[in-house]
Amino acid sequence: MNDKLLLGRSIETGSWVHKLDARAKITGMLLYVAVILLSRSWMAMALLALFSIAVMISTRIPLKYFLKAAKPLRYLMLFIFIVQLLSVKEGSVWLSIGSLSLHDGGLRLGSFAVIRMLFLITFTALLTFTTTPGKLNQGLEGILSPFKKLGLSPDRITLMLSIALRFIPTILDEAQIIMKAQASRGADLNELPLKEKGRMLVSLLVPIITSAFRRAQDLVYSMEARGFRMDAPRSQYHRLRWGAADTVFVIMFVVMGVAVSLV
Amino acid sequence: MNETSKDQDKEAGENQTVISLEGVSFGYSPEHPILQNITLTIPQGQWVCLVGPNGCGKSTLVKLLNALLPKSAGEIVVCGQKLEEETIGYIRQSIGMVFQNPDNQFIGATVEEDILFGLEGLCLSHAEMESRLHSYTQRLGIDHLLAKHPGELSGGQKQRVAIASILAMEPGIVIFDEASSMLDEGSRDELMGILHDMRAEGKYTILMITHDADEILATDRVLALQGGGLVADVTPAELFLNAELLERCHLQEPYAWGLAHELQKRGIQIDVPASEKELIDTLWP
Amino acid sequence: MAIELQQVSYTYAERSLWKQTALHGIDLSIKQGSIVGIAGATGSGKSTLLQLFNGILKPTQGTVRVLDVTIKAGEKSPKLFPLRRRVGLVFQFPEQQMFEETVEKDLCFGPLNFGMSLDEAKERARKAMNDMGLDLKLLDRNPFRLSGGQMRKAAIASVLAMEPDVVVLDEPTATLDPISRAELIALLVRLCREQGRTIIIVTHRMDELLPYADSWIVLNEGSTAFQGSVKELAADPAILERCGLTVPQSLRYWRAVADRFGLDGENPRLTAESLAELIASLPAGKRDAHE
Repeated sequence: MNDKLLLGRSIETGSWVHKLDARAKITGMLLYVAVILLSRSWMAMALLALFSIAVMISTRIPLKYFLKAAKPLRYLMLFIFIVQLLSVKEGSVWLSIGSLSLHDGGLRLGSFAVIRMLFLITFTALLTFTTTPGKLNQGLEGILSPFKKLGLSPDRITLMLSIALRFIPTILDEAQIIMKAQASRGADLNELPLKEKGRMLVSLLVPIITSAFRRAQDLVYSMEARGFRMDAPRSQYHRLRWGAADTVFVIMFVVMGVAVSLV
Repeated sequence: MNETSKDQDKEAGENQTVISLEGVSFGYSPEHPILQNITLTIPQGQWVCLVGPNGCGKSTLVKLLNALLPKSAGEIVVCGQKLEEETIGYIRQSIGMVFQNPDNQFIGATVEEDILFGLEGLCLSHAEMESRLHSYTQRLGIDHLLAKHPGELSGGQKQRVAIASILAMEPGIVIFDEASSMLDEGSRDELMGILHDMRAEGKYTILMITHDADEILATDRVLALQGGGLVADVTPAELFLNAELLERCHLQEPYAWGLAHELQKRGIQIDVPASEKELIDTLWP
Repeated sequence: MAIELQQVSYTYAERSLWKQTALHGIDLSIKQGSIVGIAGATGSGKSTLLQLFNGILKPTQGTVRVLDVTIKAGEKSPKLFPLRRRVGLVFQFPEQQMFEETVEKDLCFGPLNFGMSLDEAKERARKAMNDMGLDLKLLDRNPFRLSGGQMRKAAIASVLAMEPDVVVLDEPTATLDPISRAELIALLVRLCREQGRTIIIVTHRMDELLPYADSWIVLNEGSTAFQGSVKELAADPAILERCGLTVPQSLRYWRAVADRFGLDGENPRLTAESLAELIASLPAGKRDAHE
């Protein structure tokens, strides 16, 4: 299960969040970032936590999956906490060892930073958990469509993104095999002297890049053979449909933003 | 405008030519031609295999048919339409292609998206897409995999998805470009089962590139390419009787054929047995 | 013994991004200087097993003994660098690991990594080219300009250039045409018979290796379902079907003739030629009536 989460895959439970328009979810996420930035007190943090956890629960996806999404960044969060703790010299001193003193303000800001980061990651994971890549693309395309007038081409951007996302795991997989193959020929990252490492890097990059090009060529053939032409008209199977629930979803975030900035 | 010509094709039935090549050549430079002066015709409903050594231009030839590669000379007619800039769209719609590498032809993020990719390009209605999505995934036994990502599928399953994606676009011609060569034995047998079913249906013209003796044996006709030219147009039986041609095309005969030939060399007159049981029954009744 | 596995299990870490099959309680031994075929359906753990042979993967349980090196689960393993030279691992589609601008440079890559001098490496590159039946003129070529079959052979030569005692190949013939496949198998067989190297080949086309392999290992869902000589495999080919494999034609025809005449004690005849010879020497049935 874990590897699937790492790649930001969707988990189908059929909850109300799953059924929302992807545009509503993307807008919600953007607003959520604002909500996080506006939360500046313990009270606001509590409100933020309550709201976030409630929405996560309503997706019917087990909470531990959200936590797993944040796990890779646990050391970064710890690091940020410690830096804040040591560097902020505000408020009363609550511990001092020699020249080192820890202040109230540091503890507060450190905790806030960690809480913000934790919620930012776990909550945005909600977007990928509840939305299939196709719908996500469509939503993104919808959100970007006003920029068409500025000469931007949303369908190209989303096509590019979706293909990149589709092939990243494949290419990583292949990189792993090539690393093993070169290690079998004595080019092991861990066992070679430093000056040899540069040469070894070439032995990895050249095959990985050649193979990525080969895949790209194959993919182009395969897309063209299925009649694909850039900018040709297409119909859409999953239509974007903005309903009352989507409006409610977005308003929820606006209300939250107002609430946290008041308390 | 394509609807009418498509209908006419169907009515014309069995013997109408669906692919014809006249003096077709291809090369990245005139001094090093990859294919030279290929002329051939394929009637509707035939199951044709294209054989030849690695690098003889088989894969290039099929890519010329739907203009994935540009021919440098000659004329190609597919389903009554001459291949030109304006007809590429129609011709690509008439020809479906399944490639060798199961990973590199999986376009969508999930099975469903991969199948829809082609259908959306045809600008079909939602109802039509839904019905095709379900009927073709059911037909290929992948209807339970719709939400799966390519990383969760085996090579054989991915090839099934590719076939479903292509059949759902309802082409009259389906090309298999060494589609079985990266599969394990079990998946290869399954793929051949799908091909047999397609032939039985009668509405597909199948062009298949392969090196596999048993696969060749299943087809109606063998086109052999060597050194960029067409060197033989024979039946599978004729191919396997022609030791010199087999050698030129880097092929080997099926085991049962080899055994029959070795027995004949030793004065035991015997036809190629269909199974080991038949061999025993014939030799020692 | 070249390779010995005792109660070896391998489980991938839970966090691993790479989906591969785990192995459970594998016991096996591979004789020095023999040709061993490994068969198994997709997902039976073949690739995982191969990577244990040169220490790319370390067992999570049990003991792997390769030549004179012992890798025991849970213990700090000895330096594996020298072992990598002596056990050459050829991955599937090895041509995809080539990267230098000439074939010669690519062939020298391994030997140089293992501390040989440039002259020595070049000498070994030449020898490896000969072993793979490649023209020495190709040494100056760009590897990407070779034909598919040549490129595959050159890539295998780049592993042979390290002069490994054991050569392990993962489906070396995949996507080659039948003549190139037969040629490659013949070259590998020669490496074993003439130079005494241990050759281990994973294949999903058992037919092409059956006449040459001294023994077979059949994997099923991460465990060994069969291990033994060709003779033993020929005695009960149904085991293959139980592991999701097809019984090769040559084995089916041999079985039919052996059953008819009770030839179980004999060495199986697994080529069309040798089986025809045998049939010709057997008492004729209907044939006499014909003539």
